[in-house]
Amino acid sequence: MVEYTLRRVLSFIPTIIITLTSIFFITRMIPGSPIAALIGHQAVGAEQIEAISSDLGLDKSLIDQYLEWLPAVLTGDFGTSLFYEDSVVQVVMDRFPVTLYLTVFSMILTILVGIPLGIYASIRRGRVADYASNVFSSLGMAMPSFWLGFLLIILFAVTLDWLPASGYRSPDFGIWEWLKRLILPVLAQSLAQIGLVVRMTRASMIDVLDQEYITMARAKGLPESRVVLKHALKNAMTQISTVVGLTFALGLGGSVIIENVFALPGLGQLITIAAVRRDYAMLEGGIFYLTLVALIVNLAVDLAYAYFNPRIRHTG
Amino acid sequence: MSKKVFHTTLKRPGIMPSWTRRWRLNGMLIAGLCLLLPLAVIAVFASWLSFLDPLSIDASSQLLPPSWNHPFGTDNFGRDVLARTVYGAQVSLRVGLGSMLLTAFFGVFFGVISGWYRWADAIIGRFTDSLMIFPGFVLAIMIMAAIGPSEFNVIISVTVLYVPQVIRTVRASIVEFRSAEFVDAARTIGVGDIRLLFVHIFPKAAGPVMVQLSFGFAWAVLVEAGLSFLGLGTPPPAPSWGNMIAEARDFIRSAWWMITIPGGMITLAVLGLNLIGDGLRDMLDPRLKDRGVL
Repeated sequence: MVEYTLRRVLSFIPTIIITLTSIFFITRMIPGSPIAALIGHQAVGAEQIEAISSDLGLDKSLIDQYLEWLPAVLTGDFGTSLFYEDSVVQVVMDRFPVTLYLTVFSMILTILVGIPLGIYASIRRGRVADYASNVFSSLGMAMPSFWLGFLLIILFAVTLDWLPASGYRSPDFGIWEWLKRLILPVLAQSLAQIGLVVRMTRASMIDVLDQEYITMARAKGLPESRVVLKHALKNAMTQISTVVGLTFALGLGGSVIIENVFALPGLGQLITIAAVRRDYAMLEGGIFYLTLVALIVNLAVDLAYAYFNPRIRHTG
Repeated sequence: MSKKVFHTTLKRPGIMPSWTRRWRLNGMLIAGLCLLLPLAVIAVFASWLSFLDPLSIDASSQLLPPSWNHPFGTDNFGRDVLARTVYGAQVSLRVGLGSMLLTAFFGVFFGVISGWYRWADAIIGRFTDSLMIFPGFVLAIMIMAAIGPSEFNVIISVTVLYVPQVIRTVRASIVEFRSAEFVDAARTIGVGDIRLLFVHIFPKAAGPVMVQLSFGFAWAVLVEAGLSFLGLGTPPPAPSWGNMIAEARDFIRSAWWMITIPGGMITLAVLGLNLIGDGLRDMLDPRLKDRGVL
C-alpha cells in the first residue's frame, strides 16, 4: 500500500504540468484577444496596442510566452488580475473556502443519502420502493441544478421565508448565520449527484448480490442485514468509490453555476466573472485551483479504491 | 412444437451486425420518445405553426400571466414566453444534434485509429487524458471564454468535452477485436486496413457509441442551458432556455411563469433523452440490462 501510494503521488507531478499546459493553450487559442478584452470599445491607436502587448508579453511567440509562464505559475505566481488589481493567488485564496464548504457539504449529503437509498433500492429490486427511487433519481439528474436552485428560493425564501435567498456570511458571524446561507445551495447542488450515486450504488449492489458467494452466505444462515451490509457492500464499495470521485468532479463543475444563483463569493463565481470579462490571468488561476481540488480528490479515490480492492495495488 | 423450437434456437446469419437483431422497443425507449417527440416536432415545424414573434417587444403587455392570447404569459419586455420557449427548443436541438454529430465523427475516427495503430494510441491518449483532467463544465467555460459566446461555439465546446469519452469507448472495442479470428481471416483474404476497420470491425462496436451519444445529447442540452444562463452561451436577445432563466431571475417574485416554463422544458427534454439512452442500452447491450449504468 505504501509503495502504491508513493507511486500514485509521484505521478501527480506530470499531471499538474499537463493541466497547466492545457489551460495555457486553451485560453490563448485566439491570439490578441486579451488586448481586445482590455481596451473594450475604446478607440485606441496602433502604438498603444503595441505598448500594451509588449507590457503583457504578448509580442513574443506563444512558445516563449509559455516557457516564461510555466515556471512562474509552478512557483505559485499567476500574475495580477486585470480587474481586481491584486495578485491572482490572493483573490483565489480569499474565495476558496466558500467553494470548499459548498462542495464538501453537498458531497457529504450525497453520500449520506445516495448510498443508503441505492442499497435499499437494490434489495427491493422491482418493487414500489425501487421504482420510486428510480423516478426520484431520474428527475434529479434531468433537472438543471441552477433552475432547482431558483425553485428552492421561491419555496423556502420567498413563500415560506425560512431561509435567506442568497448571499454569504463567513463563520465568524456565528455558525447558524453561516450555515443557513449554505443550506439551499447545498440542496440544489446535491440532487443531481444523489441521483447519480443512487443509480450506480444500486447497479453495483445488484451485480454483487447476484453472485454465488452471497447465496452461500445466506445458506450459512447469516442474517440478511449482515449479508447485505458486510459481504455485499464491501465488494460493491470499489465501484461506488469511483462514482463518488466522479461525482465530486461533477459537483465542482456544478458549483460554478450554483454560486452564481445564490450569489456565493466562491471560486466558481470568480471564474464566471473572469470568463465574461476575459480576465485571463484570473481565469487561468481560478480554473487551475478548482481543477487541483478535483485532482486531489481523484487521487484520494484511487487510494481508497486500492484499499478496498487489493488486486489493484499488486498489479497496477 | 418441435418446429417452433428449431426456429428460436437457430441463429440466422444476416448482413446486419449482430446487435441490430436485438432491436425491440422497450418501455423506457417508448417513454423517452413520448416525452421528446412532441417537443422536437413542435420545434422543427415552429415556423409553420404560427407562433408569435419571439423577439417582438411590446411595452403594453409586460409580465402578463398565462392567458388565452399568451398561454405561457409574457416576459419583462412583453415578449410571448410560448414563442420564446419553442424557439429555445430549436437552439437546444441544434446544439445537441450538431455537437453529437461532430462528436460521433471525430470520436469514431480518432477512436478507431487509436485502437488500431499503437503509435497513434500514445498521442491521442495523451490528448484525451489532458482534456479529461478538467471538471467538464469548467472546461466548457474556459473554451467559451477563449472563443466567445455564440451558439456555434457552444457546439464546439460541447464537442471538445465529449469527444474524449467517445474516443475511449471506440478505442476499447477496437482493441478487443484487434486479435479476433475474423480479423485474421479477413486479412488473409487480403482485406485492407481501412475496409477492415470501418466495414468489418467498427459496426460491431457501434452499439455502445450510440448509447453514449444519446446520453451526450441530454448532457449537451444541460451544458447549453448552463452556459447561456451564465451569459457565455447563446447571446440574447435570441431565446435559449438557459438565457430565459437568466432573464427571469429578477422576476421570480412577480412572474413565476417566466422561470418555471423554460426550466421545466429542460427537465422534460433531458429526462426524455436519458430514457432513450437507457432504452437503447438495454436493447444493444443486454449484459448491462437492469444495471442503470453507463
